[in-house]
Amino acid sequence: MLLNSVILVLHETLEAALLASVLLTISNQQWNRVAWLSIGIGGGMVLSFLYASNMLEISEWFDYVGQEIVNASLRILATLLVVVGTWALFKSRQFDARNGPSQRNRFISLFIFCAASAVVLAITREGSEILLYLGGFLPQKEYFQTVVTGSSIGFSIGLSLGILLYYGLLSLPRNWRLDVSVILLAIFAGNMLSQAVLQLTQADWITSAQAFWDTSEWLPESSTLGKSLNVLLGYEATPSAAQLIAYVLGMVLVLASGAAGKYSKDNNPTTIQATNRQR
Amino acid sequence: MNMRMTGKMSSRLLPLLGLVAGMYSYSVNAATPVLEIEIKDHLFRPSEIVIPANTKVKLVINNLDPTPEEFESYELNRKKVINGSSKAVIFIGPLPPGKYPFFGEFYPKTAQGTVLVE
Repeated sequence: MLLNSVILVLHETLEAALLASVLLTISNQQWNRVAWLSIGIGGGMVLSFLYASNMLEISEWFDYVGQEIVNASLRILATLLVVVGTWALFKSRQFDARNGPSQRNRFISLFIFCAASAVVLAITREGSEILLYLGGFLPQKEYFQTVVTGSSIGFSIGLSLGILLYYGLLSLPRNWRLDVSVILLAIFAGNMLSQAVLQLTQADWITSAQAFWDTSEWLPESSTLGKSLNVLLGYEATPSAAQLIAYVLGMVLVLASGAAGKYSKDNNPTTIQATNRQR
Repeated sequence: MNMRMTGKMSSRLLPLLGLVAGMYSYSVNAATPVLEIEIKDHLFRPSEIVIPANTKVKLVINNLDPTPEEFESYELNRKKVINGSSKAVIFIGPLPPGKYPFFGEFYPKTAQGTVLVE
């Protein structure tokens, strides 16, 4: 029971922590902005409590698949926020203090808004599940202490891994940092969109089809490596075609929005100089 | 608009509409089999269910325990928290023949079951 609670809470914590870490790396490295994270975490905690408290009623929506619909919507919305945020990030780099401080600040604010909101949604999703898990054990004296201990350990490990990713990214050479961060965002977006499709398939809002491939012989999802890759990259042993399409779509959207932000037409020569001056 | 144009348009529209309608098949038609599973004392009852191959099946999971449980299966690719004293719906399939184990993630030692697809 102890190990089970460690793994369960670790999984949930990691999903939110990884996204938050990459977004924080970007905002810190680019603009020294980190305060937004506390608002994101605070907001997420409040919403996750509200979500968990109302889960009983929400589960009955849409003929008892309300949970899937809300979870899928949260994921799709988070994906869109990451896409818009990536665009805003690269747009902001087209301006600097000399030629367009107000435009630059506007795009920075847009990124911060997207990042904070994405973290709020991620924590709402994952936090609600942790709360439901813990809440279920409150009335059970014999399990409660074990579960709380295991959950605390799992949470701490998840948090530590997120912090590790953060410092790992910051330790990368300067000209790699942004590219690696954006690639990670693309992977997270693909993962979130693919999971949204899985939820909708579970709810029968998307017609389900047979698995596109079956790699459970080589790397079962239940194995430790399989589980780790599932959390980090969204590895699935038996994904449907729809899931795969969603994954690729999520990645493409982030990379395309980054390119759009970076290369969007701007005839102002000082802007081009500003872009070259950016670190 | 002459007859030839209309013919061309409908030959493109109809398959497209069919694709869209197929993808957004929200309503469960009468042919989807429904199977009920109970959760009681952290056990799935029945713990073994049999469903036909290549068929979409609607699982109705009734949690009779006062505490929540999470229905999870790697093989079926399904995961859902079911609150205490409430029910939940999960769609599975179409699946090729085989054994697909599932478990309760909150109480994995006792809550275990298998979906047999034949």
